[in-house]
Amino acid sequence: MTTQKLGLRKKRAAFAIISMALGVIVVVTANSLMEGVRDVAIKTIWTEEIDPDVVRVYAGQNPYEFMPPDEGQPPKAQKRIQYLSESVFDVIRGWSEVAAADRPVAAQPVSISGLDKRPQGIAELQGVPEALLLRYVTDRALVTGSTNAIPLVVGEREVRLRYDEKRGKLEDDPAGEKTWLGREVTIVLGDNYARLSHFSYDYSKRQFTPVGEDDLTAQRDTLERGFRTQFDTTIYNTTLSLKGRVVGFCPGNRVLIPFDAAVLCEKWIDQRNQLALRNPPRNTNQVAYGERGRRGPKTGEYTEGLVIVKPGANIEAVAKRIEDMGFSVATRARTFESQARAFDSSVRIVKEVALAFGALILALSCGLVWSTTSKTVSDSRADIGLFRSLGATKREIRRLFLGEAVLQGVIGTVCGMLLGWALALTVSHWVLGYARREVLDPEEALLIPDTIFSLNIRFCLLLVVGIALVSLLAGLLPANRAANVDPVKALKRE
Amino acid sequence: MIHLENISVEYRLKSERVLALRNLNLHILEGSFEAIMGPSGSGKTTLIQLIAGLLTPTAGDVIVSGENLNRLDDEKISAFRNRTIGFVFQFFNLPSYYTAVDNVALPLVFAGVDERARRERARNLLTEFGLQERLDHKPDQLSGGEAQRVAIARALITNPKIILADEPTGNLDRDTGAHVMDLLQKINRERGVTVLMVTHDEKAAAFAQRVIRIEKGELV
Repeated sequence: MTTQKLGLRKKRAAFAIISMALGVIVVVTANSLMEGVRDVAIKTIWTEEIDPDVVRVYAGQNPYEFMPPDEGQPPKAQKRIQYLSESVFDVIRGWSEVAAADRPVAAQPVSISGLDKRPQGIAELQGVPEALLLRYVTDRALVTGSTNAIPLVVGEREVRLRYDEKRGKLEDDPAGEKTWLGREVTIVLGDNYARLSHFSYDYSKRQFTPVGEDDLTAQRDTLERGFRTQFDTTIYNTTLSLKGRVVGFCPGNRVLIPFDAAVLCEKWIDQRNQLALRNPPRNTNQVAYGERGRRGPKTGEYTEGLVIVKPGANIEAVAKRIEDMGFSVATRARTFESQARAFDSSVRIVKEVALAFGALILALSCGLVWSTTSKTVSDSRADIGLFRSLGATKREIRRLFLGEAVLQGVIGTVCGMLLGWALALTVSHWVLGYARREVLDPEEALLIPDTIFSLNIRFCLLLVVGIALVSLLAGLLPANRAANVDPVKALKRE
Repeated sequence: MIHLENISVEYRLKSERVLALRNLNLHILEGSFEAIMGPSGSGKTTLIQLIAGLLTPTAGDVIVSGENLNRLDDEKISAFRNRTIGFVFQFFNLPSYYTAVDNVALPLVFAGVDERARRERARNLLTEFGLQERLDHKPDQLSGGEAQRVAIARALITNPKIILADEPTGNLDRDTGAHVMDLLQKINRERGVTVLMVTHDEKAAAFAQRVIRIEKGELV
């Protein structure tokens, strides 16, 4: 029976199979990629910004909390904000598990001489405790013994790029890393124009190319319009120049400076804060420094802190103790979990949308399977009459048509699955290529896997079986009609 | 071999009751060659459909090879048709998407014979019928005579006891029709197969040992 066929109505069957395959492509592609995308995103987007032995402490909300665990519950009434202070740091420093606890000093935007013509502006300059800084510096003497300059740590990837004046483009310069070590540079804090993009990425050529003067002017105008809505004009003219020297490379798009040197720029930051408070922003509800409706930090009070735990100490226990003091905390593990929750939620939504879309197409395909089988039954009445006269039972006739219905479903599913895998592999290749190009941090780059494609055999088997069953159901009614064809009438018609 | 006892077949055409066969009694001996003749609508085809178990009589019993067909369920009556009856149709009824071999092998599919064996048997039978050059030809590549020989081969493939032929020469020219009748007669004589043939053609009927005449649902 299996090798005999009634001959599917080709065009109609092809349409049903193609529709079925389309539905399966959507579902399989989403299923094959989402886990991998989630994994890469969680590992590379924020988590790596926090070193594994660092607890970031915040007076306000933890910016690394993407989705609180008690999502869905009404928010608790916010307590009066409690700022960090030297006395708080002293308490924390007194714990046996803690190696260092201090305030960071962050400033942005920042420009660094020699790095002003780079693809992306420096995100932030951070003053950090020496204990944190030392892990990025190869020669301790350069930090502790430096008197004539502020030791800098800059992101590795940027300094590997070399600008070729003649060719007018940035190029990879594997040897560039070493040439930057020890180089003297000038850091300008508050250089708002550091935000200008001097390069744009040409995807067709896969390289950065310099943007034109017109583009730079347009960018400058946009920036200045932004300054006018947010700050008094005196603020964006307030800059501070510092001398520095490159002594190492750190992860992330950051520049780190040792804490002592950061004190130098603290006054500058205070000055900006004061100016911002005196000149509240116009046409906006947000202020750049301090939270609306709350008192700002007084002298000796800080909004952020960094706590470094000793090797082998339980970082989560330390974080919990700080939390119990009334502060928000971020650790790599917590950030990872928070990101995972946020991504899981997004992945779930994408999967649900893909499933709903796939289900819609599959429902349509099942309708087409039903319609194809019905049409085949109508067109094959004479054949059915003949088969019955030659000894086919009703059951065999039913099975013949059900077989064709299931065959359409299975062919559609298998084709869709193969195409879905091919598409997923292509997307995986494209996404990872993009990620490798965009990720600036070498530590982060190491976390990018070879593929984000994953093969869920159980899901695929379930899909084949499920669609075969649905196709079977779709073919049931026409197959029953075929089985009940009166052979006498069918042969008479012939 | 075939016993039809007090057979009546009645059906409704719109609101009108039509009596296709009335109180018909017929006995056909094993190995005989019989022709059924009569005007159109006299009940000839209804008669062979009854014998094939495709139609259930309104009254009376159809007993073929000792089996009362009225008492068989779908599985049994299908098996009976497959093993005992071979059909030859006026318009051959050869599905166009099958080759000659596939068409001949078709009844063996329903008999549960595996593919290799059924194709082998089909090829042998077609060769016996002189169609060895046409094994892989589709029906539209065959002449009328060849197509009818393929149809007869299909009717014989399960070694049935009875061949029911409905106007087997009705779609053929005189010479080809005569060849087909020769073949049916040969099958009847050499294989001992009972042949029951519906025909309008007196020349075809002349090949039969007996002619059964039917009019308005009754034997005359």
